[in-house]
This record gives sequence, structure tokens and C-alpha cells, in this order.
Amino acid sequence: MINTVEKIYVYGEWTETYKVTHNNNKVWFVPHNEDNRHYQEILEWVAEGNTITDNGGGE
Amino acid sequence: MAYIGNFPAEKYTTFSKQTFTPDGSTTSFTLDFSVANENDLELFVNNVRQEPGSGKAYTASGTTLTMSEAPGSSDTMYAVFQGKAVQTVTPASNSVTSAMIVDNAITSSKIASGAIANQSAYRNLIINGDMSIAQRGTSFALTASGATYTLDRMRHITTNLGAFTASQSTDVPTGQGFANSYKIDCTTADASPYATDSMLIQIRLEGQNIQHLKKGTSSAESLTLSFWVKSNKTGTYIAELFDRDNTRTISKAYTIDSANTWEKKTITYEGDTTGTLDNDNNASLDVHFWFGAGSDYTSGTLSTVWTTNVSANRLVGISNLADDTANELYITGIQLEVGTSASDFEFLPYDVNFSRCARYFYYLGVGNAQCVWLTGYASGSDWMVANYNFPTIMRTNSSLTQVGTWSYGNNSGSIGFSRQSPTATTFGFLSSGAGQQYAYNPSDGGVQFDAEL
Repeated sequence: MINTVEKIYVYGEWTETYKVTHNNNKVWFVPHNEDNRHYQEILEWVAEGNTITDNGGGE
Repeated sequence: MAYIGNFPAEKYTTFSKQTFTPDGSTTSFTLDFSVANENDLELFVNNVRQEPGSGKAYTASGTTLTMSEAPGSSDTMYAVFQGKAVQTVTPASNSVTSAMIVDNAITSSKIASGAIANQSAYRNLIINGDMSIAQRGTSFALTASGATYTLDRMRHITTNLGAFTASQSTDVPTGQGFANSYKIDCTTADASPYATDSMLIQIRLEGQNIQHLKKGTSSAESLTLSFWVKSNKTGTYIAELFDRDNTRTISKAYTIDSANTWEKKTITYEGDTTGTLDNDNNASLDVHFWFGAGSDYTSGTLSTVWTTNVSANRLVGISNLADDTANELYITGIQLEVGTSASDFEFLPYDVNFSRCARYFYYLGVGNAQCVWLTGYASGSDWMVANYNFPTIMRTNSSLTQVGTWSYGNNSGSIGFSRQSPTATTFGFLSSGAGQQYAYNPSDGGVQFDAEL
């Protein structure tokens, strides 16, 4: 079960990767790629009304 | 008896006599034996031998005797066969032995299409059908409702039907060459499934790997599924093909006949002339081994031909592996191949089998007996970056997760970012100072990359 999803920036540039933290604290780094099953889970999670954290590169 | 020539098709027999009943008008008679010509028989009318030949008393060919004039109804007439035409002799069933066939005499044109099972390399469309690769572990408590990736390429789906564990087992059919099987063990019984309950092993096939099935064309190939199975719970189970691109299914029932006995099952599915499969890296065709379901799947008529999916027709008659905690089931040697017959299981070298699995999931670390060192250099409080090339091209950009207890040098610990391609990955660790950095897992984990279907 996904708890949080955060866009990952490096040097102000989005890495096209999400840091996904699950309820059991398991962390996955998930590529922004529709062929990836974890990214598909992110899309479903967003469709349920959740929001991806986007700090705009201010890491 | 010595002779020159070919060995006769039949043993020598005594001469044969045939008596006719003339009626004064018939000139054509049917002989009991076929002859080459009239000289092969002696013909007597009223005990007077007749002269054979055209324009003489009679002619004969095959089984037809033709008289130049019709013998009278009061005449006696008989023939003694002196010779018989060479016949086309059909050997008795099961009488031709291997020794009767000249070495190397059988050409491929003499063999019916499809009569010989496919022997081509990589004919098995199932990866890890021998259950030998287990990167994620060897025992899994299946989630009550959802999918659990277990042994490589195996996706176990449960929907509130009892509770099960899945594991890699060494219980295998004797003498077949297998070292492992997939074991399902019921830990919580559910003898009365709710309508939507179900449990199955799902194996997803990548679309671009199965274009040769020619599905959705008039040349669509038949497929044959074979596997070994054993369970204390005898009864009927369902093996289904599911076309994900067109939502079409075909279900075939098989029976576990004897309790606790390995049995080989072979099931053929005719080709589907409807619905082409996408030529891409996503899942197009699933193989489903169902082991129990509620009435939503069982209330119709089993769909044994390809058809648009109707849930009620998918699992009609299925037994329930969840009805007793004593139930367990083993399966191995899963092979899906083109054609209408099953060939022997295609064993692959371990490295080949592993590499094919690693396209979908790869465990860099102790899961594959590796010690993980990721090293790099940082000029200050900056990113240390390490690159790693995958052993095989992955299906798509993979997700990654760190597993186990890591040690870190000069960095804040844990992966801070990653960037992926199907062939390589970049790890980023946020350093705490300038100099050489490392992340190290010596014993209990590593990094898992997931590009599963």
C-alpha cells in the first residue's frame, strides 16, 4: 500500500524518478515509465485522489 | 525353398479352385483372386480345358473372367488358379519393426506435419517452468487479496480464498530431471468460497516474444501446455489462456486423478483466429493455473474454445484447493509450445534460465551470492554517483529498492536517487564530505530491480 510519492530532483533537475514509500516503510525508486508496474500503481494511487509531492527541486 | 528375387509378400500356399454357376447368358464372372492375365488360371467347362487368350475361349484380368461365349446353365464350370497377380500387401498392424527399415531411409516428407513434437530451442514460452530460479526467496506468505511475485516469473494471485503459502520445493517427479517444484500449501481453509473469491498462479508472456503464434490470423498456431502436478486434493482444475490485449479466454479442465502422485498433464489449445497480440514489451498473453474460485467464475458453461471473456464460463467445475488446511499442491515442468503435441521439457543451462528471468527481476546482492560495493567520489557535500550495468537487457526501466543492512562511508546513507535504462542504472548517494564514498552490503541484502510484467 503506497503511503507517499515524491518526485526526486538532483541539481534542480527532475530525475524522472519517484521515491515511493509504502505503509511498511519499504522504499522503491520508480521510473516515470508507463511500462513499469510500480509506475502504474502510482497512477492508480493518484486516480484515487492522492497527490505526488513535488518540491520543485528544492531538495 | 531357394528362390531368386524379392522375398514374397505371402508364404506359398496350395492352388485354389473356384466353381462357377453359369446361366446360359452371363459371360463375365468375378474371380476369387486377382490374376495378371488369363494364363494364370486353368478354366474347365464340363471338365474340358478351355484355351486362354483373346479370340479364344476366355480372357482374364484382375478379378474379371470374360468368356467368349456364355456357358450353358447345365454346364459345369470351374477354374484352378495357377498363379495370382502380385498384390499390394498391407502389413498387419504392429508388424513392421525398426529392423525392417533401412537406416536413414525416412525422409522428412514422409512425416506428417505436426506429427513430431517441436524440438526447436527456446520452444518453451514459459520462463523458469522448472521452478529453479528463486531470486526473491523460497517461501512466501501470499497476500490475502492481491498479487505476490514468488518464484521468478510466477505471479500468485489470491482473492480472499483461504490463505496459502507458496514455496520452492524439492519434491519432484521421479526420473524426469527436475530439481524443484512450486508448492502451494493451504494454511487457512475456506470451504465455501464467496462468489468473487479465487486463487491462481499467473504467468505473463511478453507480446513481442509471442508474435510467432500468429494469433488473430487465419494461420494462428495451436498451443500445447504440459506440466507435472501432484496434490492430495484430487479433482478438476482449470488451465486457462488469457489474451490480455483482446480480453479473450480459453479454459481447459484437467483432473488430478490420484492423491499424492505426480501426474503429467497435456492440454492443447487451438489457435485463435481473432485478436492479434500487441508487438511490444508489455504483457499480452497469460497462462493461468486456477485452484479454486467462487460462483462468479463457475456458474456458466466452461468456455473450451477462444471467446470474449465471460467470467462465469472460465472455471466451471473447478475443485477447491482451499477447502482444507491439509491441502497442498505441487507443480513443475510447465511448458507451453507451438503445436498440438507436447515435447519433452526443455531444460536450459542455469545461466540462460537465470538471464531470461533477470530481464524481469534482478537481485544485485546476496540474493545471488554477491557482495555489493557501490563506490564513487564526491567533491564535498554533494552526490556520489555509482553506475551498474545489468547482466541482461531488462524489459523496461526498472524500479529499485534497497534490501538488508548497509554500511556507508562518507555519505548520508541509503540511495538518494536513481536513474534507469533497460541496460544500466545510476545510484546517487548524498555525501557528507569530500573524498571516496561507498555503500556496502556484505551479507544480507543488496538492490532489487523490478521490471516485471
